[in-house]
Amino acid sequence: MEELYKLIPDDYARVISRRLALDKLCEIRVRNGKPVRVCYDGGYFYLGENGLTKIADEAFTAGRSEAESIIMRACDRSLYTVTDTLKLGYISVASGVRIGVCGTSVMSNGQVSAVKDFTAVNIRLPHEVKNCAASLFCKTVSDSVPNILVISPPGAGKTTVLRDLCRIISDRGYNVLLCDEKYELAAVHDGAPTLDVGSCTDVISGSDKKHAFKVGISSMRPDVIMTDELFFEDMPFVERAAHCGISVIATVHAKDVADMRQKPELRAILDNHIFTRYAVISPPPYRDIAVYSDAEAI
Amino acid sequence: MSVKLLIVFVCAAVGTCCGFFIMRNYRRSCEYYKDLCDLVGELRRNISYRRDSAATVLSRFKTDSSLLNRNIGEYLTFARSKSDAPDISKGFLPADAFGDINAFFTSLGKNDGNSQLDELEMYDKKFTMLCEKATVKSSKYGTLAVKLGFLFGLAVGVLFL
Repeated sequence: MEELYKLIPDDYARVISRRLALDKLCEIRVRNGKPVRVCYDGGYFYLGENGLTKIADEAFTAGRSEAESIIMRACDRSLYTVTDTLKLGYISVASGVRIGVCGTSVMSNGQVSAVKDFTAVNIRLPHEVKNCAASLFCKTVSDSVPNILVISPPGAGKTTVLRDLCRIISDRGYNVLLCDEKYELAAVHDGAPTLDVGSCTDVISGSDKKHAFKVGISSMRPDVIMTDELFFEDMPFVERAAHCGISVIATVHAKDVADMRQKPELRAILDNHIFTRYAVISPPPYRDIAVYSDAEAI
Repeated sequence: MSVKLLIVFVCAAVGTCCGFFIMRNYRRSCEYYKDLCDLVGELRRNISYRRDSAATVLSRFKTDSSLLNRNIGEYLTFARSKSDAPDISKGFLPADAFGDINAFFTSLGKNDGNSQLDELEMYDKKFTMLCEKATVKSSKYGTLAVKLGFLFGLAVGVLFL
């Protein structure tokens, strides 16, 4: 995880490399002038000279402009390369590292034209867990791939599951089109995925779902389209793909099917009946995957 | 007699070499500013299309100017480091030109695309002016320095005799 060490101050990097297991580290939260926190093995701790601590006074205190320094390093000292995603509140770095950004928005004609005076960053690390989606694959895919909606609360591992499911389906010979809007799924760098998304996967990175579905369907002729974080406004593109005979696998943020039903936007996805399988990932530390049919979900 | 002629020849040769040295100084300024203008153009083209980082563009850029090569290397070292600003060498540059060049390297990548393009356009104009001045100076005084060097050397040789 050299990429991470390049971003953060040497003090944090030294402690993380010597005292922590990277596969358990999910987030590093740096707030200007505040103690540094990490999400480690499902729990939140402060990061200090001696590793993890529950006491804020023992933690490293971030510098007054630490967030900006991290952002400048993340974009290779070229802010113009990340302006578009910065407006959406994040930066994607090589190897699938994603940085959530907080700062002051500059508005122009009712839209965010720039972000300045960065106050905090949340460095999120990707995790590849091979075969974590094997049970989901066995429960859902037989002769063909159905439309699957993966439901999980934030931080439960839906992106990791989706990536592994992509790898498994792709390695079975299906042509998969991966719509990697936030560079988290395949983490393409220099024209090649840095995370394993399978041998038959084509990746469209950085574009919204509308563009990726339109271009992908017309030019790549995929068997399956996979995408992260679906919203109701994305449903027309999903419907179009389904009508073209292409399977769609996507994820949404919700606790479970009942939670989806209570949220009008997500309920509309359920009412659409496009998805025939719903996979619900339970929160950490269990992370079990329960699969429901469309009828059971309704 | 032949020794005297040799002394005159050596003095004239030394004077001419000094002239060439001065001319080379003018020319390397020209070369530096010309390549700097090319670099700014390359950065502008990159922002308009590929949007690679400034460090990527600079690492691909080829120049014969040793000072510009050193300046690029210094910027790339900064880009890989965790320091806050690049440490750019002044070399043979005059103080006012160095101020602009240092500001140029320091400002790289600190703005969004449109603002960066505006800034690069401003630097392009500044560096083009510096390049034109250096070219005029080089053509005007470069050959003059060689001629004067030769004459000065010759005069010293004759006086020596």
